Amino acid sequence: MKRRFAVLPVFFVLGVLAAWTLGPSSRAEPDLRIILTNDFFTLDPARMSYSHDLRLSYAIYDTLVRFDNLGDFSVVPAVAERWTISDDQRTYTFFLREGAKWSNGDPVTAHDFVEAWKRMLFPETVADYVGLLFDIRGAKDFYGWRTAQTAAYAERGGAERNAQAAQQLFAEANTRFRETVAINAVDDHTLQIELNQPVPYFLDLCAFGALNPVHRATIESHSRLNPDSGLVEMDFEWTKPGVIVTNGPYMPTEWRFKRGMRLEPNPHFYDPDTVKSKIIDFIPINDQNTGVLAWKTGTADWMWDATVPYLAELKEAHESGDFPGLEIVPAFGTYFWSFNCRPELVNGDPNPLADPRVRKALALAVNKQLLVDAVKRTGERTSTTFIPPGSIAGYPSPAGLGYNPELAKQMLIKAGWEDRNGDGIPENENGEDFPTIDLLYSTLSYHEDIALSMGTMWKKALGISTQLVGKESKVYKDDIVNGNFMMARGGWFGDYGDPTTFLDLHRKENGNNTRKFYDSEFESLMEQAAVETDPHRRMELLAQAEAITVQEQFPILPLWTYTRPMLFLTPEELAANKDLDRNAVTGISTHPRLVTYLHKVEVISRDELEPMENPAQ
Amino acid sequence: MIPLITSRLAQVPLILVAIYTVTFVLAWLIPGSAVMTDPDKIVSPEVLAAAEKRYNLDDPIVFYFDYLGGVTGVNHIRDRIAGSENPGPALDFGPSFQYEDWTVNDIIAASLPVSMTLGITAIAIALFIGTSAGIAGALRPNSMLDLSTLSIALVGISLPSFVTGTVLLIVFPVFLNIGSVGSWGSPQDIILPAFTLSLPFSAYIARLTRLGMIETLSADYVRTARAKGCSPARIIYKHAFKNAFLPVISYLGPALAFAMTGSFVVEKVFNVPGIGQHFVAAVLNKDLFLIMGVTLVFSTTLVLLNLAVDIAYRFVDPRID
Repeated sequence: MKRRFAVLPVFFVLGVLAAWTLGPSSRAEPDLRIILTNDFFTLDPARMSYSHDLRLSYAIYDTLVRFDNLGDFSVVPAVAERWTISDDQRTYTFFLREGAKWSNGDPVTAHDFVEAWKRMLFPETVADYVGLLFDIRGAKDFYGWRTAQTAAYAERGGAERNAQAAQQLFAEANTRFRETVAINAVDDHTLQIELNQPVPYFLDLCAFGALNPVHRATIESHSRLNPDSGLVEMDFEWTKPGVIVTNGPYMPTEWRFKRGMRLEPNPHFYDPDTVKSKIIDFIPINDQNTGVLAWKTGTADWMWDATVPYLAELKEAHESGDFPGLEIVPAFGTYFWSFNCRPELVNGDPNPLADPRVRKALALAVNKQLLVDAVKRTGERTSTTFIPPGSIAGYPSPAGLGYNPELAKQMLIKAGWEDRNGDGIPENENGEDFPTIDLLYSTLSYHEDIALSMGTMWKKALGISTQLVGKESKVYKDDIVNGNFMMARGGWFGDYGDPTTFLDLHRKENGNNTRKFYDSEFESLMEQAAVETDPHRRMELLAQAEAITVQEQFPILPLWTYTRPMLFLTPEELAANKDLDRNAVTGISTHPRLVTYLHKVEVISRDELEPMENPAQ
Repeated sequence: MIPLITSRLAQVPLILVAIYTVTFVLAWLIPGSAVMTDPDKIVSPEVLAAAEKRYNLDDPIVFYFDYLGGVTGVNHIRDRIAGSENPGPALDFGPSFQYEDWTVNDIIAASLPVSMTLGITAIAIALFIGTSAGIAGALRPNSMLDLSTLSIALVGISLPSFVTGTVLLIVFPVFLNIGSVGSWGSPQDIILPAFTLSLPFSAYIARLTRLGMIETLSADYVRTARAKGCSPARIIYKHAFKNAFLPVISYLGPALAFAMTGSFVVEKVFNVPGIGQHFVAAVLNKDLFLIMGVTLVFSTTLVLLNLAVDIAYRFVDPRID
């Protein structure tokens, strides 16, 4: 008898745990449910760098200006209802709308933007995108100055480091910012920015999610000065629902780690009629296979990223009508392979790829269409340029070079590599064989298949052998940073709508120029473009610069434009599939920049669909 | 009993410090930077330096002792004594690099109860299935019933959870429309993952129980019980099972620790927001604080449950002391 009751505590513990973890049962039904692969990393705009965080940023914060993301992607008013640009194109004055309010009712003022950008310029905030502000007069200097200031503080003796000294340090930094950085609140509703030189895409930057304003009082009450280091430290409780104050169409009302987030409309948003979906639920599903199953069974209306290993099969099923809802849209990024351009390899051997003619030969010998059709099989558009053609208005993309194995062979001979002894392998004039090219990639992805296929193409067209070097992604990245590779897989997504977001990668001093590419003509064209004030002429200069990299120099071998597979039903698909008991979604941008404003996204049920259908027929 | 418990408890801190040190060294040696998470983008050197300085990543010795002070509560006590107005949590597992808005304390507090619920349910299911199958098999060794439970057990041990889990997902929510995919919020959501998680445990328990039962059922005292006219049910549960259960108990400690600290695969397939996923993801991301945090939680659970098993032994079998 006694023992029988011994199990009771076990059930009690189980019951309490279950009640605790399984959570609330009665809550309002969401209007829109979205599956995302990862939970949000941060709600602090300054620290955002991942695309899913930035999408959320557009929903809960309101930028100075916004993109017309369902139209031609031009810049349209948001918090700033209008702006003026000085004749020398260096001073931007934004006039903020009077009615803009934070979710607690406070007015959104120019000071909020000053505070947000100042925060980014404090190195201890660790803002990944701080570089976007460095075109503002004094900004870059301030960042360096604050780094030096706190470093000097850390050197002081223990007695000279205390709360009061840290406070003084902070006050000094604030004064310095006010005096030297040209980000000014002229009055509550006027924000003035002065740039070092004309930046034709500056408005585009102002629409970027990482540059969103933050609520000053909330930030202040959750910051503290570390008396030991003199640094500002944040308590990230401020991003939690109930504490966070936002100025966008939505505010988060629930966020449970890896369990999901709920957005509800910001009651003080100035334009409530534009907010189509009232309640939005995010469901993080880490495993994309599970995500696809969940979407298919109706757990959500929209899956942001359906990059599953069987995407090719999914695409086939979609095309044959068995899997309605898959939308593959081109993205603002390029998949490529890097050439190491250093004269010597890490092991001291001479690098045959340092010769641009060799790189050009290798590039010409790759049949990109075959790679996309037979290996990748998910319908990407092959690319001969680094910047996805058509993604930037007014930019005349150069043609680049297509597949031409014959020309490839001639290029290689021009570079001094020719099969002189008839064994099929090209030799240099000293009779040394062309060295085997190491192909470095990160494992657990399709890169290995691509490397193998390219290797076969080069062997066949040029007689050059390759070797696969697959490494875990952290090790791969270390090798890239240290230049320990011959060729390596790479990828790049643009951040703002200007060619420089791609082309800067090839600049001599750029930290992401891991190929150590340098070409004086390219550099000089980039410098000319930087000071060119005629926008048309500037685009031409940039196109000339890109032409050098994709027709002659080849620091990289661009293969295709990245795509983003998403799952949602368009109204047409819903109408065509009468047996599906679910909703369609509209308002999702398919522009390559993939900026989506969630308040424009609307769920349409079959009932709402029917009346829409008739006039169309 | 009391000396045993005290001496074992005294060992706990030493074991944990050893585990902490080994984990720290291994985690520190993971290649790459802890603060650079995107494989395709290189953060500017200024930002990188600022981040490393912020988290003591520029000095392993400082990091080691500072973090040790945090997790043991020494820092908290020191801050209290110094009269700091904001002394932080008593046991501070630090921030997470990947989930920037959450501390490791937040992450463990949110995910450990989930994993514990799932794990305890799974072990309960495993005990029920395992012991029933084991006893059934032991009563008629080499019968059809025995052979079939043994084969099912073999399948249970051999089939990886991502296969059984995916099959269950496709059969129940997708085809039969029972339950939902990828949600965690209502009590029925726990059934499929708990069942998947329980399979290898039930298989193992079935085999342990069967072996133990076959052995004890042929023992002299069981024969005596039969001879004096005991009912078969009484012989099985009162006389034989208690002894046959001993190996199962010693297996239960580590099994419970493993089940309660989550399974990477089951959590991934069923999208359970538990702690198991962090064991793998944190290492891949070199999320140092999270690696240390989950390892310490797991080792503490394991050490304490092993102690609990030792104590339970003495209740079940008074011959041991």
